[in-house]
Amino acid sequence: MSAIDEFEAAREDLEALLIEVLGAVAGEEALPVWDEGLPSGPIVWSRLAIHDEEDDSFTMVSVRTSSIVARVLASRMLLTPDPGPDDLLDAVGELGNIAGGNVKSLLRHSCRLSLPAAEVTEDAKPTETGVTVRAAVLGQVVELTVDVAGDVSGLYWPGGSPLTDALESRS
Amino acid sequence: MLALVVDDSRAMRSILTRLLSGLGFDVAQAGDGAEALSVLDAGTRPDVILVDWNMPVMDGLTFIKNVRAREELRDISLMMVTTESEQGQIVRALAAGAHEYVIKPFTDEVIAEKLALLGLVA
Repeated sequence: MSAIDEFEAAREDLEALLIEVLGAVAGEEALPVWDEGLPSGPIVWSRLAIHDEEDDSFTMVSVRTSSIVARVLASRMLLTPDPGPDDLLDAVGELGNIAGGNVKSLLRHSCRLSLPAAEVTEDAKPTETGVTVRAAVLGQVVELTVDVAGDVSGLYWPGGSPLTDALESRS
Repeated sequence: MLALVVDDSRAMRSILTRLLSGLGFDVAQAGDGAEALSVLDAGTRPDVILVDWNMPVMDGLTFIKNVRAREELRDISLMMVTTESEQGQIVRALAAGAHEYVIKPFTDEVIAEKLALLGLVA
C-alpha cells in the first residue's frame, strides 16, 4: 500500500481527528464538511513534517483556514481583542502543531515531528496528491492535508537545526 | 504557589497561564528550555514546571534532564504538556524525571487533575 493509499484509508479517522482538535482548541463544536472549500481572501496556514527514520521518508501535515478563523482563535488563545499578524501565525501554528502530533500518533508511530511553520498567503491550495479533510468551526472551513514529502525548506527540528540539513546529508 | 510555563507557542503559554491563574498560581513563562533554565538560574523556584516537548533551542526532554541533574532543583514538580502521544515517548519523559504527562489538546480538568495528583491543588 502506498503512503497516499494509507492516508486515504485513514480519511475518516483524519476527519474525526480534525473535528476533535478544532473543538478543543476553538472551544466550539466543529462539524465535518465535504463540499465546501476555503473562502477567497487571505489564508493562514501552518505546516510541519514527520520524519520516518526507518525509510527516511517525510510526511507533510498542513492546516489551512481563513484569516477570520485565525483571528478568532488568536483572540481566544491569547486573550487579546485585537490580535496582530504574529498572533494569528502563533495560534494557527499551535493548531497545526497539535493536529500534526495527533496525525503522527495515528499514522506515523516512532517518527520525529518538526516544529510548525505558519504564514499568511493568498494561495495555499491543498496539494493534488495528498488527502485533504475539512471541518467547519465558527461557520468557516478548516482544511487538514496529509501528504508525502513536500517542500521541507523553512522547517526546523526541535532544538533548532533545519530539516534541509537532513536532505543535504543524503546527497 | 508558583508555576513556570515553558512553551514556544505564545498562545499555549497564554492558555496555560489563564488556567493556572484560575487555580491560584502565580505564573512565570519561558519560550524554550534554555530560556527556562535562565529563569531558574536567576533564582526563580517554581513549585511546578509545565513544559512542552518540541521547542526550538532546547527541547523539553533535554530541559527535564538538565533540571533533574541539579540537586537544588530536585523539589520542583515537572509536567510534560505536549502533542507527542506515543507510549515510548511517555516512558522516556517519565524516565527522564517528568512526574506527569499531558497530551495536547487537553481540558482544564485534566491539568487540574494532574496538579492535584502532585499535591499542588486540592
